Amino acid sequence: MEKTGQEWVSASVDGETNRQTLAELAADTGSHATWQRYHLIGDAMRDELPQAMPLDLSSRIAAALELEPTVLAPKAASASMAADASSDAASQKSAVVVPFMRQLGQYGIAAAVALIAVVGVQNYQTADETQPLPVLNTRPLVGTATPVSLQTGPVVNQNQASNEQLLEQRRRINAYLQDHMLQQRLNSGVVVDDNTEETLIPVKR
Amino acid sequence: MRFILLALVALVLPAHAEDLSAKAWLENMSRALNQEQFKMSVIHLQADHIRPMVYLHGKVNGQEVAFLEHLNGPTKNAVRIGNTVTFIEHDQPAISINADRIQGLWPAIFAGNIAELESGYQFVLGGRSRIAGRPGQLIRFIPTDAHRYPLQVWLDMDTFLPLRYELLTDEKELLEQIMVVELIVLQEPAALLVEAAKQEWPPVVNQLDRHDGQNWNFSWLPQGYRIVARDHHRLMGSQEAVEYVALTDGIASISVYVGRAGSVPMPEELMTRNGLGLVTEKVGNAEVVAVGRVPMATLSRIIRSLTLDNPS
Repeated sequence: MEKTGQEWVSASVDGETNRQTLAELAADTGSHATWQRYHLIGDAMRDELPQAMPLDLSSRIAAALELEPTVLAPKAASASMAADASSDAASQKSAVVVPFMRQLGQYGIAAAVALIAVVGVQNYQTADETQPLPVLNTRPLVGTATPVSLQTGPVVNQNQASNEQLLEQRRRINAYLQDHMLQQRLNSGVVVDDNTEETLIPVKR
Repeated sequence: MRFILLALVALVLPAHAEDLSAKAWLENMSRALNQEQFKMSVIHLQADHIRPMVYLHGKVNGQEVAFLEHLNGPTKNAVRIGNTVTFIEHDQPAISINADRIQGLWPAIFAGNIAELESGYQFVLGGRSRIAGRPGQLIRFIPTDAHRYPLQVWLDMDTFLPLRYELLTDEKELLEQIMVVELIVLQEPAALLVEAAKQEWPPVVNQLDRHDGQNWNFSWLPQGYRIVARDHHRLMGSQEAVEYVALTDGIASISVYVGRAGSVPMPEELMTRNGLGLVTEKVGNAEVVAVGRVPMATLSRIIRSLTLDNPS
């Protein structure tokens, strides 16, 4: 009996028995230890031993089930989670908390990315603002040449002038720069010139 | 061992004998730009602006015909028939002026007399690299002083046409780059050029705005720079009347303006992102402004050297 008992315990460990023999085995508390040992041996052979080994898992589950208030039982949730809910009520709570935390983590990552994007864009924009690109396109009323527009760098503002003055200054600067460009075109008939021609760019304010 | 050395020398020497001096390369380029018939697709890069262009050059009935088209944005083309350049631009009547090159691609001097550049630049042969699928020879233009920026040009080793042009600051920052992406050498002038040669273009505009300016002069000019124009005109944008003197060393050009000081002071120094500098000095109630793509110190010094010769 003992030998055959071992055999069918072994078979059921390997999942080679039917439901009825499994139920019989469950009823036979004497072979539970054997069942457990076989599983342990199998785990050891497959190198799947956990770090800490709660040797008597089944009895602890039984004890936990006993301690469990009946009301909470349905909330103890899906069968798949029963394994998670192994040790006690506390760990069961954490089982609920973990996915929530996981989600929170995902939200956190998303938020961080959004934050970086926002901060980055803001930085990018401010960088742009400190280096304005006053693109002017003033068309001459008369003249033999057609207008060119310019891209200029930051205007050196030495005396913190008012906005209006700044605009006026910028306008004058651009008048000079633009004239310089235009003259190249005219001078090219006379002599060589440099290569500073600009394309037409609409005014950007 | 000696044998190997001899063999090496024998291998290397003939190759060297074929090699041209940097100046010879440039002279070949100048000739090629005038003689060859070709189509170039070009990318022009300046201060984070990229402009694609196509340049056609050919000979129709013994006359040079060239066409430059900006591919992006509003229409902006230029046609050159002989010594007349016509600008065809969006929203503008076509305008013809007298010029022997279309301004806006390679510096005009590239097709002119290279020797003129020698007082300002030293030509140095560099390495070779592949550009637009063709082998290119690098020629550096090293400034002989601190009054101009260095540049470098890669020439096609078959045709000597320029494949790439870079203007750099002294810190080797790129100010401007022109790069060929496709070069097609043609045997016949392109159909477009034949068509352009037949076309009737507006007559050359007399530069009526050009009035004789005062006899401005300079007590000092950087080597290689010379005065190319002096006149009196109104600024194109603001209609302010100015006295104007144009200087060039062949590649870099500087404009010096003398005008009445405005209500708002001009910045003493200003540098645009494409390397164009502007320096202002106030003299009494007059304002002297110099603009040009050269180092700031050069502009300042040129302004301080400005003198007015008495008309005698």
